[in-house]
Amino acid sequence: MIKLLTALFEQGARRRFRGLLAGLVLVGVLEGVTFVLLAPVLSTMLKGDHVRMWWWIGALALVAALYGAALAWTTHVGYRVGTNALSSIYAKLGDHLSLLPLGWFNTERTGSISRLVTKGAVNIAGAPAHLLRPVVTAVVSPLTVMLFMLVIEWRIGLALLLSAPVALGAQRISNAMITRADVAWDASAADANARVLEYARMQPVLRAFGRHIDGNELLDASLTHESAMGRRLLLRGATGFSLYLAALQGVIVVAIFLAIYLTLEGGLSASLAIALLVLTVRFVEPLVAAADLGSAARLATESLKRINAVLDSPVMPEPSVPRRAKNSEVVLDDVSFGYDEDAPVLRGVSFRAPAGGVTAIVGPSGSGKSTVLRLISRFYDADDGAVLIGGEDVRNLGTGEVMRNVAMVFQDVYLFEGSILDNIRIGRRDASDEDVMEAARTARVDEIAERLPDGWETQVGEGGTALSGGERQRLSVARALLKNAPVLLLDEATAALDPENEAAVHEAIRHLAHQRTVIVIAHRINTVVAADRIVVLDRGAVEDTGTHTELLERGGRYAEFWSQRQQAAGWRLVHD
Amino acid sequence: MISSLIRPVQGRLTLAVGLMALASLVQLVPALAIAELAREFAPSIVAEVTPDETASYWTIGWVAVGAIFAMLVLFMAAGLVSHLADSALSLHVRRRLVDHLGRVPLGWFGRRSSGTVRKVVQDDVSALHHLVAHATLDVTAATVVPVVSLLYLFVVDWRLTLIMLIPVVIGLVSFSLAMRGAMAKYAEYDASLARLGAASVELVDGITVVKAFGETGRAHRAFREAGEQFSAFFYGWMRQTARASVIFEVAISPSAILATVLAGAGLLVGTGRMAALDVLPFALLALGITGSMVRFMYGTQQVREGRQAAERIGEVLSVKALPEPASEEAVSPTTGHGAGHVAYEQAEFSYNEATKAVRGVSLELRPGSVTALVGPSGSGKSTLARLLPRFDDVDAGAVRLGGLDIRRLPTRHLYEHVGFVFQDVALLRTTVRDNIRLGRPDAGDEAVRAAARAAQIHQRVLDTPRGYDSVVGDDTVFSGGEAQRISIARALLADAPVLVLDEATAFADPESEAAVQEALSQLVAGRTLLVIAHRLHTIKGVDQIAVMDSGRVVELGTHEQLLSAGGRYSRLWNAYENGRTGSESFLAATGEETSR
Repeated sequence: MIKLLTALFEQGARRRFRGLLAGLVLVGVLEGVTFVLLAPVLSTMLKGDHVRMWWWIGALALVAALYGAALAWTTHVGYRVGTNALSSIYAKLGDHLSLLPLGWFNTERTGSISRLVTKGAVNIAGAPAHLLRPVVTAVVSPLTVMLFMLVIEWRIGLALLLSAPVALGAQRISNAMITRADVAWDASAADANARVLEYARMQPVLRAFGRHIDGNELLDASLTHESAMGRRLLLRGATGFSLYLAALQGVIVVAIFLAIYLTLEGGLSASLAIALLVLTVRFVEPLVAAADLGSAARLATESLKRINAVLDSPVMPEPSVPRRAKNSEVVLDDVSFGYDEDAPVLRGVSFRAPAGGVTAIVGPSGSGKSTVLRLISRFYDADDGAVLIGGEDVRNLGTGEVMRNVAMVFQDVYLFEGSILDNIRIGRRDASDEDVMEAARTARVDEIAERLPDGWETQVGEGGTALSGGERQRLSVARALLKNAPVLLLDEATAALDPENEAAVHEAIRHLAHQRTVIVIAHRINTVVAADRIVVLDRGAVEDTGTHTELLERGGRYAEFWSQRQQAAGWRLVHD
Repeated sequence: MISSLIRPVQGRLTLAVGLMALASLVQLVPALAIAELAREFAPSIVAEVTPDETASYWTIGWVAVGAIFAMLVLFMAAGLVSHLADSALSLHVRRRLVDHLGRVPLGWFGRRSSGTVRKVVQDDVSALHHLVAHATLDVTAATVVPVVSLLYLFVVDWRLTLIMLIPVVIGLVSFSLAMRGAMAKYAEYDASLARLGAASVELVDGITVVKAFGETGRAHRAFREAGEQFSAFFYGWMRQTARASVIFEVAISPSAILATVLAGAGLLVGTGRMAALDVLPFALLALGITGSMVRFMYGTQQVREGRQAAERIGEVLSVKALPEPASEEAVSPTTGHGAGHVAYEQAEFSYNEATKAVRGVSLELRPGSVTALVGPSGSGKSTLARLLPRFDDVDAGAVRLGGLDIRRLPTRHLYEHVGFVFQDVALLRTTVRDNIRLGRPDAGDEAVRAAARAAQIHQRVLDTPRGYDSVVGDDTVFSGGEAQRISIARALLADAPVLVLDEATAFADPESEAAVQEALSQLVAGRTLLVIAHRLHTIKGVDQIAVMDSGRVVELGTHEQLLSAGGRYSRLWNAYENGRTGSESFLAATGEETSR
């Protein structure tokens, strides 16, 4: 944990952290010394040697005072260091997160980030002041006691010394036992988490089929398994913990018998024997208390590791001098790409989307349509080949320049906390109020605003008024309108919007598509027919390109697609 | 809340507390044994000679050894009992939550993310751990050890006991000073942390938008600011309480207590008011008094979190469940008008006080007929449809199935009669077979295959690695249209005479649209149907179309009737037709050629 913490700090804070560690060791030593001084105090007191006794008491009080001062100092520094750790974590995470490729952000990861910056970071921030001191003292103080013991009465000291490997061994065994059970328990908890999520998400279906109350075996089995794994971990942990405790308490037992024996046979003075026994108890107590700290330390270390894992994820390379796109032509040149190394999604895809024209991408689901759009917007970089916008490789343009050239209207629309207007203004931060309003009107967001209680100021997004899917899309079109980028990437909606929203969205997109380079994942017949160029994708490769007529003549997959669409469009739920 | 939650394991917890109290008592024995040994040694200490060997020394040694092992056993037993109780309680509370959640109105889920549900069932229940497994035992130890030690020490020498208490009292006073206003601060802490969490969610969840619009800098700044704000708050709070908490820490530290006790002892012994031997119990027991207190105090934050978690669990458990009929009277909707007859009678429903989602709707669905609900979004179509499978209960009026109020039907019976196919299809992470026989878990293989065949998905299932045994999500992933067909197979197998189709004609992937349509045609044959539709041309031929607006049915009739009436439906239809033929594509009016 200390190593992980050190890595987190900048130079200055790192020095402070080292100072804190030194201070904590001092605190531990001073505590140990007060314990050690107990022996001469008690021994002189029992013998009735009051003069010496007072000297020793004075010495003990002095050390205790030093100890108090050191403790106060380390606590203060601990708070500083903890706060340093917090700021450093936030700064580094913030910097790094904004540089990570978009592909990094899947739901599993995004969910854990907010927990990491809140609970995880607090665990770490509290560690220097509240966790490190007990941990360091728990080691240093008994060590000090043992060293003095070896000097004063080596035979009992040796017993303490020998206890160390036994206790350590017990701890090692206990850790090993816990770790294995811990992994199993973790997996079972993750499984139960997934099942609970499923249970909540699928509640409508489960209810519609009467499976929500009794007979939800999947969830119940998962919860039961989680519980059983938890119990196994618990029993293992308990066994390990008792081993450790027994090893430590064994020291007291050995010391008592040794003290009696040595007093009777070995010439150890009775008063010293008693004092050393008291000291032995002082030796054991911090070590027993240390066992309690284990879980807190594990927690903080775990959080640190997770944060480091985020910080170690590779970021997207950005050019030092970004080039500029010369025009709005988009070209894919022999592009291959896979989300996993062993599962290629695109294999040698090449096509040209002419500036100012409409290029439609069609193909069955899983053929790589969305991936093509993601590569053009540089959510990922191609593994092989190149994506060019305006004649420049997107890697030379850099994310910023790519984003200046590309506007996207995708199916899932993220709304930020804020008013409707705030959410449109995201399209172009420096846009005038008139521009924002005009974009809103064109996308017919004004109709939405009229209907809502607070009009334009209605709060949306997390914890705000929920907008319907169609309404969100209108908002996202308004954003794109405001942004006014030369290239438009569009994923045509598949789910039916109600007629009102559908008309509004279409009209707005019509405005948007005007005089831009449009690349669209097309689902509608008319879109495909009207495109300047159609790219037919199948299993990650371009099967054919051409206009509607050309492709129909050639037959093949496109003709099949076409006849299916025709057939589907005429379907009725029931016939007259 | 917490006390009623833990009731099921109360007995075990009491046992654990008893064991812990006993362990705390026995814990004092070894220290006392050392003190006793000193007493035995006393004559020889004063005479400064080697004591004679007597049996009593060894007896004392053995007593100490016995006590140590008894203590170990008792400690472990107490911990084990409380932890096992906690483990049993977790499972119990989780099951209780899940069972309860299955009975609350479905609308409750609509207003929450599934993540919130997961948090309550998993995280909040886990947060009870410290409260149940540790806090009770810590309190016991923090009470028994100091009380018994103090009593004993008081008997040995009351003056030194009082002196010893000086730092303890200073410590406690400064602790309460440090904790003063803590509740307000905790609230501020929670709020500050929540802001930070929100900023991180915005940065991370909205990263696509953030990057797409070059907002990286701003979202990043917002996150940094929230981070710095929280760091500053954290430091400020720590500093503010630092003096008091440092005094507390120093005052009850082993060194301070030892120094005080020994200084006091020096005074009393030096002036002959106290026997040197009587100091030993103090040197041995004093530190145990504060040690157990510290552990308890360090747990306060976790206890607070546990209580908050218990509150949240309590809130969920107190959500009113949809009532079930009291007795399983042999009610069956097959009496009266027959199995497939549905009637809404003056049905009213609202999600909140402010607006009614459904206002006084009366609508009859005759057996075997098809009824379509159309209207703008927010007009109450889905809400009305969802009253039929009792996702929510009407506030006033009734929904009747075969003449019987559906609230009088046991849930099990209701779902035998009413099926539901959704727009967004969800498959369970289990075998394809179990997914299809969700509504009829006892269905045989042949029936499952027949349903899959009718739903046009049988061949696709056979192509998966393990056929019907393939686990969805693990062995194979289905496209939207394929999942849709599985859900249709599910409804086919369940074979309910009444079926609700919520936007089921919207398809996730065009290439399987035809197959989905074929499957749907199979499904709807011979059933009473309630359909929510946006693509109006698909419902042209249905028996009746109900046009909804603001929670009311404003028009009712066949396609032809409504068209010739020239009302709202005809306007909707015209707008729709224009949209379809004129500009279904956004490209149509951009000057591109529309028909090549």
